[in-house]
Amino acid sequence: MRYVVGYTANARGGDAVNLAVALARRQGAILDLVMVMPQDSPYNGAYPPVSGIGDILAEQVSQWVEEGLALIPEDVPAQAHIQRGESEAEALIAAAQELGAGLLVIGASSTGLFKRFSIGSVASSLLHASTVPVALAPSGYSRTEPITRLTCALGTRVGAQEVLAVALAMAKRRCLPLRLVSLVALGPGESDATVQDAQAHLNGVAQASHTLAADALETLKPDVVVGTGRTIEDAVDRLDWQDGELLMIGSSRLAHSKSIFLGATANRILRALPVPMIVVPRDFEIPDEEAIL
Amino acid sequence: MSTRDTAAKTTTGLSEKGLKAGSVGLIGAVVIGISCIAPAYTLTAALGPTVSEVGVHLPAIFLVGFIPMLLVALGYRELNNAMPDAGTSFTWASRAFGPWLGWMGGWGLIAATIIVLSNLAAVAVDFFYLMLAQIFSNPSLADLTTVLPLNIATTLVFIAGACWISYRGMETTKTFQYVLVAFQLLVLGWFAIAAFAHVANGTAFDATAIQADWFNPFAVESFSQFAAGVSLSIFIFWGWDVTLTMNEETKDPEKTPGRAATVTVVVIMVIYMTVSLATLAFAGIGTEGLGAGNPENQGSIFAVLAGPVMGPFAILMSLAILSSSAASLQSTFVSPARTLLSMGHYKALPQSFSKISPTYKSPSYATIAAAIAAAAFYVVTRTLSENALWDTITALGMMICFYYGITALACVWYFRAEAFHGIRSFFFKFLAPLVGGVILLVMFFKTAYDSMDPAYGSGSNIAGVGLVFILGAGVILLGAVLMLIMNWRHPEFFKGKVLRRGSQAYNP
Repeated sequence: MRYVVGYTANARGGDAVNLAVALARRQGAILDLVMVMPQDSPYNGAYPPVSGIGDILAEQVSQWVEEGLALIPEDVPAQAHIQRGESEAEALIAAAQELGAGLLVIGASSTGLFKRFSIGSVASSLLHASTVPVALAPSGYSRTEPITRLTCALGTRVGAQEVLAVALAMAKRRCLPLRLVSLVALGPGESDATVQDAQAHLNGVAQASHTLAADALETLKPDVVVGTGRTIEDAVDRLDWQDGELLMIGSSRLAHSKSIFLGATANRILRALPVPMIVVPRDFEIPDEEAIL
Repeated sequence: MSTRDTAAKTTTGLSEKGLKAGSVGLIGAVVIGISCIAPAYTLTAALGPTVSEVGVHLPAIFLVGFIPMLLVALGYRELNNAMPDAGTSFTWASRAFGPWLGWMGGWGLIAATIIVLSNLAAVAVDFFYLMLAQIFSNPSLADLTTVLPLNIATTLVFIAGACWISYRGMETTKTFQYVLVAFQLLVLGWFAIAAFAHVANGTAFDATAIQADWFNPFAVESFSQFAAGVSLSIFIFWGWDVTLTMNEETKDPEKTPGRAATVTVVVIMVIYMTVSLATLAFAGIGTEGLGAGNPENQGSIFAVLAGPVMGPFAILMSLAILSSSAASLQSTFVSPARTLLSMGHYKALPQSFSKISPTYKSPSYATIAAAIAAAAFYVVTRTLSENALWDTITALGMMICFYYGITALACVWYFRAEAFHGIRSFFFKFLAPLVGGVILLVMFFKTAYDSMDPAYGSGSNIAGVGLVFILGAGVILLGAVLMLIMNWRHPEFFKGKVLRRGSQAYNP
């Protein structure tokens, strides 16, 4: 089981490394630290033609890679790679596929002033194209202790069961406590009925998942919680979050099969979320017991 | 389980590709060559100033001007093969002549690219307002570019925009370059045909019959005019040598670069000849009205002529020049930034110049420094000169002669041990760069000397000394001063500790 860490030599890269270490410690994974080098296109029209810039850049990048590796504690096995690509996101996806990684870990942009998750362009492209699950570290994530609880956000639409299956597999692997959450934004006129609907839906999904992994559910006994608030963001704020919590959500129905497209609700959750998040591609199949999460 | 890799093994398992090897065919290489020359932009910028020097002998000067460019480019190719390095002229001259001349060679390259950046931005701004006027059929919009504060502000915005794109490292796609180049050639061809049609119909401004004498470079009246003309025509071919230095990215490294260089120069020559003949035939070299000799028209000839020649389709010309100068503006930013980065890397400039952006992996400090320098150069020239475009192009021609001359002689000196071993070495590593380099340095000194005349270029002067001389010599002097400061603050490079002097040993 390998996790690809999209590393950049700044605070954002540090966030990603910390989260990757926390996840790897819980799941016993190997980390692949990947740095992306831009691909020179002859059509860029740079003049005069310069052939040596790559050497200076390569020297700098390998120094950064060393610094990145040094951030990873001794107990977590890690390798480093340099990947060329036209765009950072494209190169990271290619690296994850080449390495057969089960997860791509990146940091969200560090430029956001107000919200923990203010998505940078790389993260944003990954969240709309990746074919492997993407873990996002919030800005300033410094925890490297193992993850303590997994929360799975489930909607009412098709696909909820797939996300649940991934969450169950992940929780089962190292007996991670699991919590199932549905978020409801209550308008002024709406009553508890909506909450009860959501509760019923969650229970329904939980019941249905017996067929997926009956034994897993027996041993895990997930908490089932409905989060409410005036808005989705408010509902996220009101839920209690542990320091070592991790949120897992699915892709929008707009996603191509086997890839990620972050939906509108997921986007709003992301803006208010105080903990890291994993986004699972649509129709994601767990390749085999060892390879996943 | 501990598989922590060392630096040597960091590239395990993944495909390592630099330049996409073998991705460029003959047509692709020609397109890259033409896009580096940016003919629509160079013609509008250089045609006027060249006519003011050599009059109707413009075609002759364009033909002759290619010769030193060719000779120097051959030497450039040899150096690039022997010592591929981001610092190009700076590194090569340092290796051949030591740190002092090397530093000045690098400075010349940086200065030339900075000057062309400010000129590119200014041309783009002119055509931006001209295009607005054409879109809204409101000629007064075109005059906005003559409002000094507005012009400076817009130019600074263009420079900042190009700097930002370059900093973020935008990829230009193959299709985009093909479309851009095809569009430029098409519009220039259209302009030439329309101009000849006016001549044939008797509706030209100053119909002038084409004469064989126009192609005779020896008919240029004085050596001063000849030198000025050649140094300007160096500028119009600047960028052509990119085709010669493409190697591993071409599909057939043995043949493609040479063929591409030949095809490129033929295409460029045809378009330059047709357009310059068309311009002369349509407008004459009179100094009034639309005449190509009118100082009012010299800064940007197509801004004036496109309307009368192409009628309502003149907007295509604006679009072609705006797109080609905007694209060049962005790609040219790469050049001074890389040279600055390289000089910082070799400790010839303060360490901060070697900073690379962790996010975009581009030379961060150097790119911003280049933008600030280009902006400052533009503001100074615009404020001091009556015709900033004209004077910057003339100063630019001088600067290219300066650093190309040094580079060519560096080639001769670096390969001196091989020079007389074999015809190929003798020609490419000795004779061609020697002749080319000497021609360019002679042009440089002659133009520099002549430009002291207050009437030189657009006629702007400070205390009786021509502005072109002050700009050109001032920039070189500034370089010398900065070099002395660097030597005082960080003497490491100047003691020859970083880049050692050397030469290619003869090793058959």
